[in-house]
Amino acid sequence: MSEGNGPVLAAEGLTLGYGSDPVVRDLDLEVAEGEFTVIVGPNGCGKSTLLKALGRVNPPVSGRVLLHGRDIRAQRAKAVARRLALLPQSPLAPEGITVRALATRGRFPHHTLLRQWSPRDEEAVDEALELTGMADLAGVQVGSLSGGQRQRAWVAMVLAQDTGVLLLDEPTTYLDIAHQYELLELFADLHRKGRTIVAVLHDLAQAARFATRLVMMSGGRVVADGLPEDVVTARLVGEVFGLACDVVPDPRTRTPLVIPHERP
Amino acid sequence: MIALPLHPRALLWTALYVLLLVGIAALTLTLGRLGVPLTRLPAVIAGAGEGTETFVLERLRGPRLAVALGAGAALGIAGALFQSVTRNPLGSPDVIGLGAGAGAGAAVTALLLPGAVPVPLGALAGSALAMAAVALATGSGLRHPGRLIVAGIGVAAMAHAFTQYVVAVLARDEASVLHSYIYGSLGARSWDHAATIGIAVALAVPFAAALAGPVAVNEMGDELADSLGARAGRTRTGAITLSVVLSAAAVSVAGPISFVSLTAPQIARRTTGAPGPNLAVSALVGALLLAAADLVVQQAPAAEGLPVGILTMALGGVYLGCLLVREWRKGVL
Repeated sequence: MSEGNGPVLAAEGLTLGYGSDPVVRDLDLEVAEGEFTVIVGPNGCGKSTLLKALGRVNPPVSGRVLLHGRDIRAQRAKAVARRLALLPQSPLAPEGITVRALATRGRFPHHTLLRQWSPRDEEAVDEALELTGMADLAGVQVGSLSGGQRQRAWVAMVLAQDTGVLLLDEPTTYLDIAHQYELLELFADLHRKGRTIVAVLHDLAQAARFATRLVMMSGGRVVADGLPEDVVTARLVGEVFGLACDVVPDPRTRTPLVIPHERP
Repeated sequence: MIALPLHPRALLWTALYVLLLVGIAALTLTLGRLGVPLTRLPAVIAGAGEGTETFVLERLRGPRLAVALGAGAALGIAGALFQSVTRNPLGSPDVIGLGAGAGAGAAVTALLLPGAVPVPLGALAGSALAMAAVALATGSGLRHPGRLIVAGIGVAAMAHAFTQYVVAVLARDEASVLHSYIYGSLGARSWDHAATIGIAVALAVPFAAALAGPVAVNEMGDELADSLGARAGRTRTGAITLSVVLSAAAVSVAGPISFVSLTAPQIARRTTGAPGPNLAVSALVGALLLAAADLVVQQAPAAEGLPVGILTMALGGVYLGCLLVREWRKGVL
């Protein structure tokens, strides 16, 4: 999947939002191949807006997003979608759709009016269901799944898209803690198998545990960018989130863990 | 033109609908006092009919059947597209007043400006106006299901009132005229009507085929559709335009037949079990529904002579009621 040595995905002077008060302003970011980048930041800091812009869903006010060095706006929508997949926060499952049919929709960018269903599509869907552990539930309706299974069905859909880059917008929202970790382990696994992942997460401990690189945003700008242990510090969490805390190493993984102070 | 692998269940139902369609068509041509006997039908179709037989096939029932099939198919596709892009089983051209608007447009062009403007063009203008009125009245475009229906009822009522006014002023003595513009009727159709709807459907098919994939992807939300390269906004505009054109074409030859575009896509989806817009099966079911309803008003003693639109309204009204209750319980409205 490697195409040259430059970053897989890059934002250059990106300004997003509407009117005089943009959500993201003049932001630069480079994502190298094989990274598991997690973007964190307080509500309204522009992290989801940034992720959507990286996924060609939000057109920028100014600046551009480069995929393999080329402006994504200058490429065909389907060509971009064959290299980069985005799982939004609340996608809608069509009524009565089965897990397999949902995963099948991920093959859309590989189809043209003349080239429709092929054995390669079948293979990619099987693979996606296998990776997400949904093969046994392939014939079940998405509406009747539990929250954790449903989210895995959506992940199967973006995996069937068969892209080198995965963008995930708060993929663990609404899941209980066990299912959150189960899903994050799945992403870590996909990352180990060579996918470049950019995810927006709320939980700093989870972000620090799974990310190979952490990007902290505030007020539409990147305020810290680096290894989790360099980004999640008591000073930065205090400044960015307004939360007084200690940061201690996670007893199992040694990644930073935020312990908030009690109210005086 | 298949976007997805075919499923045995969907194929089975499609075959069944085709068989039923052939059956209904045969019954339409053969039943009753004037019907062509079934054994004579192939010969008459081949052009070897006698006086009455030829008259029944070529003038009386043939064009009527062709219009029923064409208009039914057009309404089925229009409904499937519209319900899919509004992500709403109630977001159907007949429920939200497009049919009534097209009816008013057709009445104006046919009765007020006879000969000056082609009737299909008037119907198209009427349905486009109704569509714009609904989108404006909801204050939120076509997104909110509840508002869509309420605005649609209002627009449909205004359009009906306008049609009634035009008909009452200009054709007060002709009940059949009133029927065809208010309820929709297939009485006294000609091959011109059949050609109009046939051409409209034939022109729409390639567009519908191109839209089927993006429309299915669009059901998962605009963001996901955009990220899959399906361009949600463009897909929606295309689907709604095609839906308005097909509704207008159907109304211009058959009047504002209600509830075919509401029910056909749902029947198609529930029987085949296939998610998504199911355009081809919806067209089949639409044709089947309208041809069957028209057979009933031609042959059933209790319904004889009724405009077919009244029958579809009666059946579809029950369905709409059930659907409203279900959506209400689900908290969608």
